[in-house]
Amino acid sequence: MIKISNLEKVYKTEEIETTALNGINLHVQAGEFVSIMGPSGCGKSTLLNVMGLLDKPESGSYKFLETELLTMNDRERSNFRKQHMGFVFQNFNLIDELTVFENVELPLIYNKVPAAERKQLVNEIIERMNIVNRSGHFPQQLSGGQQQRVAVARALVTKPKLVLADEPTGNLDSSHGNEVMELLCELNEQGTTIVMVTHSSHDASFSNRIINLKDGHVISEKINKSRTEELI
Amino acid sequence: MFRLNFKIALRNIWRNRTSSLINISGLAIGLAACLLLLLYVSYEWNFDKQGKNAAQVYQVLTNYKDANGVITGTGNGTGNAIGPILKQDYQGIDASARMTWGWDQLIANGTNSFKKMAISADKDILNIFDYTFIYGDKRTAMDAPNNIIITESTAKVLFGTTDVLNRAVRYENKMDLKVTGVIKDLPENSSFRFDFLLTWALYEQNESWAKTLGWTNNNWATVVKVSEGADVAQINNNIKDLITRNAPEAHASPILYPLSRYHLYNKFTKGESNGGNIEQVRLFMGLAIGILLIACINFMNMATAKSEKRAKEVGIKKTIGATRGSLISQFLMESLVLTLCSSIMAIALIELCLPLFNNLLGIELGITYSSPLLWIGLVSIVLLTGLIAGSYPAFYLSSFNPIQVMKKKNTKRGLQSINLRQVLVVGQFTFAVILMIATTVIYKQIQFIKDRPVGYNVTELVEMPQDGELSYKYDLLRDKLIKSGAVMSVFQSSSSMSFAGSNFWGMQWPGSTETDKQAVFNLIATTYNFIETTGVKLIAGRDFSRKFASDTAAVLLSKNAVKRMNLTNPVGTTVIYQGNPCTVIGVFEDFIWGSPFKTDNPMVVAFNKGWTSMVTMRLNKVNAAAANIATIERIVKEINPAYPVEISFVDQLYAEKLKTQKVLGILSNLFGGLAIFISCLGLFGLAAYSAEQRTKEIGVRKVLGASIASLMQLLSVSFLKMVVIAIVIAVPIASYIMNTWLKGFEFHTRLSWVVIALAAVGTIAIALLTVSFQAYKAARTNPVDALKYQ
Repeated sequence: MIKISNLEKVYKTEEIETTALNGINLHVQAGEFVSIMGPSGCGKSTLLNVMGLLDKPESGSYKFLETELLTMNDRERSNFRKQHMGFVFQNFNLIDELTVFENVELPLIYNKVPAAERKQLVNEIIERMNIVNRSGHFPQQLSGGQQQRVAVARALVTKPKLVLADEPTGNLDSSHGNEVMELLCELNEQGTTIVMVTHSSHDASFSNRIINLKDGHVISEKINKSRTEELI
Repeated sequence: MFRLNFKIALRNIWRNRTSSLINISGLAIGLAACLLLLLYVSYEWNFDKQGKNAAQVYQVLTNYKDANGVITGTGNGTGNAIGPILKQDYQGIDASARMTWGWDQLIANGTNSFKKMAISADKDILNIFDYTFIYGDKRTAMDAPNNIIITESTAKVLFGTTDVLNRAVRYENKMDLKVTGVIKDLPENSSFRFDFLLTWALYEQNESWAKTLGWTNNNWATVVKVSEGADVAQINNNIKDLITRNAPEAHASPILYPLSRYHLYNKFTKGESNGGNIEQVRLFMGLAIGILLIACINFMNMATAKSEKRAKEVGIKKTIGATRGSLISQFLMESLVLTLCSSIMAIALIELCLPLFNNLLGIELGITYSSPLLWIGLVSIVLLTGLIAGSYPAFYLSSFNPIQVMKKKNTKRGLQSINLRQVLVVGQFTFAVILMIATTVIYKQIQFIKDRPVGYNVTELVEMPQDGELSYKYDLLRDKLIKSGAVMSVFQSSSSMSFAGSNFWGMQWPGSTETDKQAVFNLIATTYNFIETTGVKLIAGRDFSRKFASDTAAVLLSKNAVKRMNLTNPVGTTVIYQGNPCTVIGVFEDFIWGSPFKTDNPMVVAFNKGWTSMVTMRLNKVNAAAANIATIERIVKEINPAYPVEISFVDQLYAEKLKTQKVLGILSNLFGGLAIFISCLGLFGLAAYSAEQRTKEIGVRKVLGASIASLMQLLSVSFLKMVVIAIVIAVPIASYIMNTWLKGFEFHTRLSWVVIALAAVGTIAIALLTVSFQAYKAARTNPVDALKYQ
């Protein structure tokens, strides 16, 4: 589904030039669950941002379902993003002024989904995420795990082909962390492609394939046999 | 989307209650002040513009010329001959009416008697002004000499009802007039206001001298209505020589001038209009806009200061798929919601303050809620304010890059936004400091004029009009007053001590030339006891005395008059006054008769038994003033029962002369104070925000051992710097403006450095107080709490 080739990204300040991505090549199949790992500053978040069209690389190619995304302008990228991608962040990034229901509903509003359909879609997803009884609450009234479930619900409500997760368990304790990881696995089993950046090898063990990054290079790739076999 | 944005807006306002309150109330005060000033401006602006023909109504002005034909002055008085001729002989003039300048005259229904503003006019006045008749027929209402048109409120005070057609009213206790019209009260902002309207025929009947048609006795007003589409420039050209053709000795030429302009543009140089009240209107417009801008700046500052908090929301929304447009509309919506709250509060504020404001200005302003114009105006001000106040935050916030703001909790504040915020605060305080200096200077100038020696003893001096029987029973009145012990001394005169009533020219004296005949002298005509009663200082000679029969042909001269006439030994000199030789028997020190703001004409006090209209009395200090007044009232009522007794204190009348300046002083004080208050409100919010932003820094510093004082200094200095810069900018601007203003007065105070220092120190003190409150609060917090939050 995703073909990334020769991706380069350089951060420049007045004094220093930092190469974040240095000729990355990456393929992701539809239905895969890929983890990207590596030490701080290896470029994993940059890679995720580029994949999520939040950041622009200097050169290279990024094909999504045979469409080249890097030549798009801002508006096209924004449209593509809201139609095909969902995001889950480490610090949840829910809007404090909106209730659970409204937070989940927001992407649908931006996708111009009619109100009645929105209501139905939101109700479906929050039921699935097991947060129905929290739908009228505000984010700060929820536990970390619940907040991340809302964030996942928000990422999934538009039924994206690709979910990008940036350290989804980073701010959670281990039991809540596992809850979220199981949720992601479940989604993956239902056919959603997931790319996740993580520090934790425990979390990475939930995925099919682990990619190790260092200094902007892919240094190793490992197929997670237990998961892959399970899948088979 | 709209509903959701609206919800976010409301929840945001609620979440940040304190800053919202600061924002809303600051803006509300700003809006209220602005609307109040605009209400005043529109009152002034709409002077004489109410009637549907207002644009066709012109007043006849007279340009006075010197021997070479150069226009030396422009006045609104005309003779009584020009009105009828204009309508009769000139095309394009549909209606023309002569009018008397209104003054209070007696009108009564039985014993129910009042002095009310009366104007006498030609019947064409009904075709010129758009009076709304409640009862009566406009076409016939002024046909017979003894007809009278009264206003609704006059009808109510006289009869208790407005349905009084054909009823009789007693006029000046002399004759009965028939009510042939009851009209709606005239708007406050009309130049020719009256409580009742009399016919010109009646006026001529009562004042037989007015029957003679004249071209140079400019005692009346003439107002015309031109036909629709008439070429007024052409008419003016045609009537150019009208006066000189009929009165070859005159140096004057008439012009038609739009009545609706005259109130605002009534200053003329060389016959061209050159400002007037419009200057004050412009000043208030500027003040209104300035105050609103200050309030808007607060709003923008608070919103951008909060931007770091909102940045996350922007980032998320952008990631999920919000376009920049939708974000801009969201922030504009928020600002409009706040503006709406503010405007509701502002209207409540205006309603609360309006009576006070009206009282200060001595006018009757009000909000007419039924007027669509008001709503259009209000809505557009709210929209404009909302858009101006919200535009910067909207465009600034929506420009955030999503990854940056979501990744880093504390995005480095852009240098640009800081700068803009600082510039705005500096601008705000510059305006506030200018207003503060202006206020102080205006106050000092008023004090300066107030402290000018009047030249006579204004306290314990009262006056009343010499109405009805008082005019021929003066001696009786005087004897009774003196005998009662309420009054020490009394004199009668042609006009009040407090208002310049009359002047003349054509005076001749030993050594005077032909051109000296043009010299204008002020004139008070009196009988006896003038000097004794007023306390005007006699420099040489004596007052008029009953002991000298020859005093009926004598005059007193002011010091200034002696100087003008260049007399070395004035007392005993014979001068020609009004064509008759008179002996100068005394010289008195100049006193302020007309405007206290400039040097008055030289003055002549002449003896004239037949021309007296005012009785002035020096109260006996032994008794309480109230008791004295009660005694006077009783005696006057005995002698002149038909008239109400109207006693005025001369010192109060004198204070009236400073009214325009006083109003200006009050308004600039009020709105200058408000501007400073709103600025400080903004500073308070910003300081609070800055303290909140730096919680962690403060915590760390405290852990490392910083004292409260050093922390307060840390937090306050950056704000004080801005205020100091504002002062540096404001002082030269304010000095320039106020020096120019002061130069407009012949007698004026100086702009001293004390005033500037006072304003500077005052502003710094207020700002310091505002900021240090927040700084102290922040510095006092437990460092552990402070660090925990991060």
